[in-house]
Amino acid sequence: MFRRILATKNSRQNGVVSTTIVRIRSEDIRFNGLVLSSDRASSAKKMSGWERLRPSTARLGRDSYSSMTERIPSSRTVRLGRVQPQAPGHRTIYCNDRDANLPVKFKGNSISTTKYSFFTFLPKGLFEQFRRVANLYFLTISILSTTPISPVSPITNVLPLSLVLIVSLVKEAFEDWKRFQNDMAINNNPVEVLHDQKWETIPWKKLQVGDVVRIKQDGFFPADLLFLASTNPDGVCYIETANLDGETNLKIRKALEKTWDYLTPEKASEFKGEVQCEQPNNSLYTFAGNLIIQKQTLPLTPNQVLLRGCSLRNTEYIVGAVLFSGHETKVMMNAMNVPSKRSTLERKLDKLILTLFGTLFVMCLIGAIGSGVFIDRKYFYLGLFEDVENQFNPDKPFVVAILTMFTLITLYSTIIPISLYVSIEMIKFIQSTQFINKDLHMYHVETNTPALARTSNLNEELGQVEYIFSDKTGTLTRNLMEFFKCSIGGEVYGTGVTEIERGVAQRRGIKIDEGQESTNVVHEKGFNFDDARLMRGAWRNEPNPDLCKEFFRCLAICHTVLPEGDESAERVTYQAASPDEAALVTAAKNFGFFFYRRTPTTIYVRESHLEKMGKVQDVSYEILNVLEFNSTRKRQSVVCRYPDGRLVLYCKGADTVIYERLAVGQDDIKKVSREHLEQFGSSGLRTLCLAYRDLSSDMYESWNEKFIQAKSSLRDREKKLDEVLIKMRMKWLKTDCGFMQVAELIEAELILIGCTAIEDKLQEGVPACIETLSRAGIKIWMLTGDKMETAINIAYACNLINNDMKQFIINSETDAIREVESRGDQVEIARFIKEEVKKELKKCLEEAQHFLHTVAAPKLALVIDGKCLMYALDPSLRVMLLNLSLNCCSVVCCRVSPLQKAQVTSMVKKGAKKITLSIGDGANDVSMIQAAHVGIGISGQEGMQAVMASDFAIAQFRFLTDLLLVHGRWSYLRLCKVITYFFYKNLTFTLTQFWFTFQTGFSGQRFYDDWFQSLYNVIFTALPVIMVGLFDKDVSASLSKKYPEIYREGIRNVFFKWRVVAIWAFFSVYQSLIFYFFVSDSSSNAQNSSGKMFGLWDVSTMAFTCVVVTVNLRLLLMCNSITRWHYISVGGSILAWFIFIFIYSGIMTPYDRQENVFFVIYVLMSTFYFYLTLALVPIVALLGDFIYQGVQRWFFPYDYQIVQEIHMHEPEGRTRTELLEIGNQLTPDEARSYAIAQLPRELSKHTGFAFDSPGYESFFAAQLGVFAPQKAWDVARRASMKSRPKIGQRK
Amino acid sequence: MSSNTPTSSSGGAGSADSSAARRNSKRPKYSRFTQQELPACKPILTPRWVISAFMLVSIVFIPIGVASLFASRDVVEIVDRYETECVPTRFRDDKVQYIQSAEDKSCNRTITVPKRMKRPIYVYYQLDNFYQNHRRYVKSRSDKQLRSNESADDVSTCDPEDRTPGQNPIVPCGLIAWSLFNDTYSFSRNNQSLAVNKKGISWKSDREHKFGKDVFPKNFQNGTLRGGASLNENVSLSEQEDLIVWMRTAALPTFRKLYGKIEVDLEANDVIDVALNNYYNTYSFDGKKKLVLSTTSWLGGKNDFMGIAYLTVGGLCFFLAMAFTIVYLIKPRYFSNYKDLTYLTVYDLNE
Repeated sequence: MFRRILATKNSRQNGVVSTTIVRIRSEDIRFNGLVLSSDRASSAKKMSGWERLRPSTARLGRDSYSSMTERIPSSRTVRLGRVQPQAPGHRTIYCNDRDANLPVKFKGNSISTTKYSFFTFLPKGLFEQFRRVANLYFLTISILSTTPISPVSPITNVLPLSLVLIVSLVKEAFEDWKRFQNDMAINNNPVEVLHDQKWETIPWKKLQVGDVVRIKQDGFFPADLLFLASTNPDGVCYIETANLDGETNLKIRKALEKTWDYLTPEKASEFKGEVQCEQPNNSLYTFAGNLIIQKQTLPLTPNQVLLRGCSLRNTEYIVGAVLFSGHETKVMMNAMNVPSKRSTLERKLDKLILTLFGTLFVMCLIGAIGSGVFIDRKYFYLGLFEDVENQFNPDKPFVVAILTMFTLITLYSTIIPISLYVSIEMIKFIQSTQFINKDLHMYHVETNTPALARTSNLNEELGQVEYIFSDKTGTLTRNLMEFFKCSIGGEVYGTGVTEIERGVAQRRGIKIDEGQESTNVVHEKGFNFDDARLMRGAWRNEPNPDLCKEFFRCLAICHTVLPEGDESAERVTYQAASPDEAALVTAAKNFGFFFYRRTPTTIYVRESHLEKMGKVQDVSYEILNVLEFNSTRKRQSVVCRYPDGRLVLYCKGADTVIYERLAVGQDDIKKVSREHLEQFGSSGLRTLCLAYRDLSSDMYESWNEKFIQAKSSLRDREKKLDEVLIKMRMKWLKTDCGFMQVAELIEAELILIGCTAIEDKLQEGVPACIETLSRAGIKIWMLTGDKMETAINIAYACNLINNDMKQFIINSETDAIREVESRGDQVEIARFIKEEVKKELKKCLEEAQHFLHTVAAPKLALVIDGKCLMYALDPSLRVMLLNLSLNCCSVVCCRVSPLQKAQVTSMVKKGAKKITLSIGDGANDVSMIQAAHVGIGISGQEGMQAVMASDFAIAQFRFLTDLLLVHGRWSYLRLCKVITYFFYKNLTFTLTQFWFTFQTGFSGQRFYDDWFQSLYNVIFTALPVIMVGLFDKDVSASLSKKYPEIYREGIRNVFFKWRVVAIWAFFSVYQSLIFYFFVSDSSSNAQNSSGKMFGLWDVSTMAFTCVVVTVNLRLLLMCNSITRWHYISVGGSILAWFIFIFIYSGIMTPYDRQENVFFVIYVLMSTFYFYLTLALVPIVALLGDFIYQGVQRWFFPYDYQIVQEIHMHEPEGRTRTELLEIGNQLTPDEARSYAIAQLPRELSKHTGFAFDSPGYESFFAAQLGVFAPQKAWDVARRASMKSRPKIGQRK
Repeated sequence: MSSNTPTSSSGGAGSADSSAARRNSKRPKYSRFTQQELPACKPILTPRWVISAFMLVSIVFIPIGVASLFASRDVVEIVDRYETECVPTRFRDDKVQYIQSAEDKSCNRTITVPKRMKRPIYVYYQLDNFYQNHRRYVKSRSDKQLRSNESADDVSTCDPEDRTPGQNPIVPCGLIAWSLFNDTYSFSRNNQSLAVNKKGISWKSDREHKFGKDVFPKNFQNGTLRGGASLNENVSLSEQEDLIVWMRTAALPTFRKLYGKIEVDLEANDVIDVALNNYYNTYSFDGKKKLVLSTTSWLGGKNDFMGIAYLTVGGLCFFLAMAFTIVYLIKPRYFSNYKDLTYLTVYDLNE
């Protein structure tokens, strides 16, 4: 359909058709939100692989007609970047003719992603720096300090500012240099271009629009190319788009037939085409243009365009012409400016800075008023004669106050910690590059992937996460189905232990030994089953060998799998619509029923061990009918005829539907199997029931007649396909029903064989990780596009939901809704579902609130599907949804679109003001990742798009434990300390100055020497705090994980609350008072036996010495762990002060300055007073903090402090090995049976049915050659499996 | 406190890897720094530590306090406030007028020595409400000019006392020098005069480096308004110790400055007659003037502050140590396991 829109838009042939299609388009978009039915509507005639991937890419349609569709709940795939308005008109490219293209001046193919060039670096870099308020503030202060109203010399403010700027600029330059090198590497890649009938190698940057190039296998396309010819027959080539959208499955591109021949250089040089196409834009999946060749105009589609960044696969080489180059390529126009996120802590820091500004203002105001009041001629020694300047003019007290205000602002500017931002940046940078990126605990050996912090802004945000939104497939699960267990005739087979069982066992302290897997266990993709009773024909000795036989045959026959490759058991590969089916067929193969060939009417099975061990015979079963899977039927049946004429219907499906259709009797097996199903289900396995029915030929014939009839009515629909699609949708639903009714007739009176249990292989360590995270107070939501059953199943498997929880399920698949839907009135459907959702929400919420007030309330869990969610996210219901979901420990949203994922995330982020984290692996998670406070991509697997959009990339879900509980918590703790300490040290320093102001007649006289003040922040107190930011560690990494509860302190933000800030502020005031008054009051007498007196600068140097010493020691007092770097930096800082003052006061410099501090330190040190004060003041100043800390730890300890004390006497190393040895030793069998016995059973209703078959919705369509894409993201993921239309196998 | 011994479970394996196998590996290299396993001491302020720290402080501080208090008590200090008494009764209503008039400013005071005072006895004058630390005042000087004769013209910072009306630079310029204190004291005991030694009352560094030997006062106090003392134009600044002392500006508005030394012992109950000239104007801003005679100890002049502070802090720490010990004995506290974690009892998200 999309192609048609383009075609009509381009050729403008038929206005009528155009409008019709456009109307459908808009409808289609709207229905896309109604997840279920819309997908069918958007189906169009057979599409090639590429288009199928992106069913809703018609941006053209949307843009032009957006007025018609005001609110578009789009379920579309996520685009990179933002839509840019297209430049009007089109461009004309003359292929293979550089001269003809010359006048147009297309952009070259070299790219530059650097922010600065050599010349712009300084101005632009400085501009960037001064966009920060703090820097701008200090610039203003610096300018102020050059005026006479300043009490300090400019150096006081200029020096710290320039140091900060230099550090920032060097960092910027370094980063830009790396970008530049990267660009150069790309620009200098070689490419073969056609020149004089030869392929000539030039670097990418020399490439020009219109050039004809040759790309070899596995090469990257240097620009957006028009695909002309390929070495493959039919002019196709395969490309991988991993760089664009992260999908590694191959896509097919097909050249126009007219250009197939231009393959050799000789031939290609004859190619003289003219391309008229759209202006460069950033839409990856559209392209409109015409190729004019030999006076023929051929329409071009995205199918002929090869985008820069993709690579060529499975094709020897291709020839193409450059369409867009350099920055005009689609991928470059998409260059994603990942929205920069700021952490919550930093936003709170802004508030703190604002508070400091407020404090500054108040202090200045007090001083200013004081100065206005003070100034008086009576102080004759101030020389306030008639023509005194305004600043001190007693006749104008108001002007004096105003000017003094400015004076004081410059004087007190140190209250704003200028080096705070740059220090934090440095700390975070090192934290992310050195600690997170290099953590061995987060290195995944299998994929060779270390963790990657893509931004260093959010380290501390990781320590405060309260909600995690996780994708399922690829994140929690490996999307790998394995046949794991089965139950045949009431007997359980399979000895494996699932992750969840292991988790349960571990929690109960049993050790499950897994070292002793029997050596002959068969383990291949899809099959992880070990039980000697069934393998190698041993099943013949089991109590019920006949049933076993039926079981295996059912597995081998009842499916829609295609074998591929060799017809030998070792080398066959199965192409299945769902990995479940492949797993089942693989299982049959391993049991000795090797399905090796399929024709439209026959299935060939190589059966071994049937009569005798080791004997092999090929059997062909005639397939008479296939009744395929579908979400309402929840079962699949095959009617087959044995070679001996026996007619059997094999059926597999959900336990509920199968049990309904079982023949009477069989109570025993039903009961036992039910128990097994529940057992499997709560172990997180996906179950299917198998049943069969022997048919008599009479009965079959009469049924088949009806079946054919129903089928032919379906065929009618195909003819109507080109008619208005809306009508068709309704008809579709009806025929569906008729069809299903016919199927019902034969799927009855079944005989239960048993059930299978497939493990949807979880990523390693997921349940344990989730358990740990939830103990840490983190709530985990699973957002998945999968079906509800699958989602619930995985939720069980990863411990999100268990049987002790009260589950609220809000589902759109109810009979009532289905009935309204079948009537087809969209407005009515919407209204009805909304009502239903509202009703459900209200009911659940009431119940939840009821639980809230009861003691021993069960934990709550909410399961909601996408369609209901769409209505629940409506503003009117959103509050209710939020209230309900915040009361739940875990929430599972299934069948949600990428957009809804983002909506849910931002609902919690904005509505509940909680800190959220999203984790996902695929393109469908991008919006969610970007919406959350912290986005995490799973790296090391196929696809990069989630990673590209993320803030952190880790290889495994379980690394979240390390990332959050260790790195996040530490970062948060450290940053809090750094910030509060900065706040403290600057406030303390400034306050001493403030107290002095009171005793100088509010004149704004500085207390300290200029250099003291300017170096205070950048030298004397700078380094130790960075050490804290890097090395402080309250409890070790292993204890952080052992006691996840201490993470909750971060969620509650206990270390950076206003209360904490107030305590620091209180002690700042206290200390500054001590510094100022202790030093000044004790200095008013002679200080040694020589009777000489101190002056101002002696006192201030004394006070400054006390400040430096105390502030540095205070840092040690707040450290949880003191490394030698702490000692070095703290000692070094204090030493630096003394060295500085020895030199500074010891020399006289020739240039103009007041020699206030000349020799003061030597004078001071010649007195006992100096030493007595130096011993007294810091201790008195720290006494307050010390008492506070002692009392706080003694009587109101934080959790981390308790953990510290519990493990106070252990060296850190041992705790880790202890962790490895949790639990006592049981024999494996004991452990297993114990683990299973411990699983809750009686309460269980969950039997684990799940069958993941993305194609099931489309069975009928597929039969008729109609492809109904299901969910863009689902389809995209599995597109490779469906590269061949299924129709082939049917006919 | 314990020291961290890093484990080798992960690290050892990492460092043992052969480099060949690692060539393509992105496995981060092990280092204690990147794995955040640097050896560290972990100070935990347990009750025991708190109590010991308090005890230690009190043990160290109390003796120091006692010693300094004794030192301070040994010092004999006589303070005589004279700014009111030295104004003749008839002028007491308008002291400013008196001080600015040409009336006789001489004044006699009698001081009784309470205790034996060992030489040297330091003579101080103490001013009150005098803002020597006012910004306008502090910066109104030229260090260059004071230091060398060549920079005599360097008076840019000295406003308003920079030049005479005839644009000649004033040496020493600036408000500080201009307002030089000019009361004079002379002492006699039993009609026997006590010499006041005015040498060596300034810090040596000031005398030798900040005030030049070749700088002589010029145009000083020639203006219409006299701020204070005049200087002998034949004596170089480095020898004008009154000026040097005065120009080391005080930190607080109440300050003492050294006037001279009496180099004889004074016995208890000696009566000292002080003949003083009350020239300096503190009346316009209600400043007090005091004459101080004081001996010194190793700690300096009479100052109980240090001793009291040390004793108080030491005592407080002792008290705290006792109090904490009692609490510790009555209600000992130790953590053993999970159950102590507060979240179990007081976990409230809405906090």
